[in-house]
Amino acid sequence: MDEGERPRAAITIDNLHFSYPGAGRPLFANLSLHLPAGGFHALFGPSGIGKSTLARILAGLTACSGRRSTAGPVLYTYNTERLPGWLTIGEHLRQVAAAPAATTTLATLEDRFGIDHCLNRRFGQLSLGQQNRVNLIRYLLQDFQTLIMDESLANVDEGTRERIIITLKEHYPDRSFLYISHNVLEVARFCRQIILLREAAKEPQIVAIEGLDATAGHPVSQTRLERTVLEILHAG
Amino acid sequence: MATFWHSSVALLVALLGPFSLFSPSFATAADEQIAYRLKWLINASTAGDVVAEAEGLFAAEGLQVAILPGGPERDAIREVELGRAHFGVASADQVIRGLAKGAPIVVVAQLFQVNPLNWIYRPEQTTISSGDDLRGKVIGVTYGGNDETILRTLLQRHHIGEEEVQLFSVRHDYTPFYQKKVDLWPLYRNAQGVIIGEKLRAAGEAFAFFNPDQAGVRFVANSVITSAKLLAEKPELVQRFTTALRRGWQLAMAPEHAERTAELIHRFDRETPLPLIREQLALTRELVAHPSPADIGRIDLVAWQETEAIMLEQKQIDRPVDIATALHPLAE
Amino acid sequence: MLANRLLQFLLLYFLAIGGLLAMKYLLGLSDYVIPGVAAMATAFTEMAAIYLGDLLDSLRVALLGHALSLLLAAGVGILASRSTALGSLIRAAAYTVQTYPIVAVAPIIFILLGDGLASRLLITILVCYFPLLLTTISVLTEPVADIEHFFISTGRNRWSLQVAIRLYENMGKLITVVAGSATLAMVGTIVAEFVAADAGIGFSIRKALYQSDLAHILVALFLVGIWTSIYLGVLETAGALIEKKWRNPAGGG
Repeated sequence: MDEGERPRAAITIDNLHFSYPGAGRPLFANLSLHLPAGGFHALFGPSGIGKSTLARILAGLTACSGRRSTAGPVLYTYNTERLPGWLTIGEHLRQVAAAPAATTTLATLEDRFGIDHCLNRRFGQLSLGQQNRVNLIRYLLQDFQTLIMDESLANVDEGTRERIIITLKEHYPDRSFLYISHNVLEVARFCRQIILLREAAKEPQIVAIEGLDATAGHPVSQTRLERTVLEILHAG
Repeated sequence: MATFWHSSVALLVALLGPFSLFSPSFATAADEQIAYRLKWLINASTAGDVVAEAEGLFAAEGLQVAILPGGPERDAIREVELGRAHFGVASADQVIRGLAKGAPIVVVAQLFQVNPLNWIYRPEQTTISSGDDLRGKVIGVTYGGNDETILRTLLQRHHIGEEEVQLFSVRHDYTPFYQKKVDLWPLYRNAQGVIIGEKLRAAGEAFAFFNPDQAGVRFVANSVITSAKLLAEKPELVQRFTTALRRGWQLAMAPEHAERTAELIHRFDRETPLPLIREQLALTRELVAHPSPADIGRIDLVAWQETEAIMLEQKQIDRPVDIATALHPLAE
Repeated sequence: MLANRLLQFLLLYFLAIGGLLAMKYLLGLSDYVIPGVAAMATAFTEMAAIYLGDLLDSLRVALLGHALSLLLAAGVGILASRSTALGSLIRAAAYTVQTYPIVAVAPIIFILLGDGLASRLLITILVCYFPLLLTTISVLTEPVADIEHFFISTGRNRWSLQVAIRLYENMGKLITVVAGSATLAMVGTIVAEFVAADAGIGFSIRKALYQSDLAHILVALFLVGIWTSIYLGVLETAGALIEKKWRNPAGGG
């Protein structure tokens, strides 16, 4: 494939090698990955396989050997993050959404994510699901090209989760999202590309599967969903 | 080697002392092991104790004596009553205070015939020819110590009100005296008196000592105590100990033995140079072998009664203790 | 909390007194070794008012010393946590100073500063600031990753914000150490007075020790215990209020 024909990637990793200090075998050996530019994608795999480590490497937070290039800023967020406790949610969000455009976006997101009624509370007073949503909102107000969401909606109920994913797709069509989740149905239905991370012994360690990329106007049929789910499970 | 063993015994007794409370041991049958608690660290004021041990005078009486150094937190009366020490050294005011509170102790020897407590001063700056001259002076005093009792008695006897002098709380550090903030500073004439004197001499300063004994206040200093129980149950053991100790002091104070005594003390008191220890010993001799070597260990009943009277007068005790009943001079 | 502290102290104190009296009567010890009930009562009526005055004098020094220790520990702790080289130098200095027995250092302090308030204060600070400093350093050098991550990722991580996050997140620990060091401040003040000063309850204890007067010492210890418990209780109550207001405010407003 010529350089010009190659699809534009949000993040590219080539020839990645990574081992935990003191570990005998490498976690990743000669691994390459291209996260497509734009769209809602998934990083999927069993617990403990190294998804979070790979996500941190993709975000440039963990040092590794290999080549990494990105198209614009990459942010990484995870589900156990907390906000400073001395501010209310509203105060904190307004502080981190300084630009006028972000302020407008904030009002929309507060409404769509269903947190507009808890803006006067402190972070510690929210439910885990509310905490997940508040945390995600503040990242969405930042300047990013790619947002890696490491189980960022883990404690959010299914209906709200779907509404949030659809909102992300509508509001940020030209940005890339890499969503880490253990819900195979969800990633099969909503993600455009599912990057399946497998054990280090398997070759290749990464398999890319086409997801159904459902949006509000384009629901997916049960048959296609089941086929994609089976494909993911078999590939794992 | 002997020193090693004696040090080891002393260390062992010191370590095990706190645990021996419920097993007070007066098992002195065969080779009697004796714990002897001093009032202070080993120095010239303990010369006789060290000599009695080092020259085998205790051993000659069939006693194996562990000499335990004292210190500000050590109280021989308490240790003797608790059975942690068989004999101890305590000042007369401690003894009288203990008796007033029912401590079952007796005095078997008096180490100092003249109290070594003096006040050092600079004659160029301060003139003290009698107690009356204390008026208007800045006088160092150890609050709660026997120098406070002696000073207050002096002031009272010379009709000097407390507002007519300025009392200065003293501690181990002599800086305020060196800085001339204080006119008179209390010390033991035969111990610190020599060391401080040497420093002042080196600095080219003249110094003198004010002795309360000469100003009419007789206050007994260190004496040897044991428990009334031990005296009643084993009078011969007490006799042997006292005899050995007196011989030790006689030997230590003998001018021909002075060099050897100084060397023995220097083994424990490494901080004091040998020449100063010799000087300390010479002064100690004046206070212990007073008026003559025959008086070593003599219990001065009149001085004890005067000490008791002072303590009553100064409200250091709330009732008379009839000190004569607690004094047991043992004839050799 | 305050009442609990006082009750706990009284319980411990009277248990200790009971133990001493049991020992006295079981072993038939004189009033010189352990004073009897009557001697203790007499000592209390005679000395309580005098010692209370001395104690309030000591408490004044302890409070001031404690406050200065907090400021010093915060200042040095912040400096030590900012730069690795300076930090390790300060830590080394702090450890070295701490290893010196205060009774050995005290005469030098008194030569340098005289025997007034400054010396007592400095000794109090030396005794009680070390745990405060170590806690401050440990709190300020330990990242709170789940809060700081966002600010680092988005380029908002300022040093002052980082300090605020770490102090806030460790407020409970800090309050415990601040309250605990109040006891050390009291100990430091008493040690200073014991070693050299001519005022305060430590000085009174030294005088009583010279005269082997355990009854007087027990009165002094009783007052020291009561007031230290009050001080500790007040600090803990204040700490709990601060935590409630800042860490767990009721309702959402």
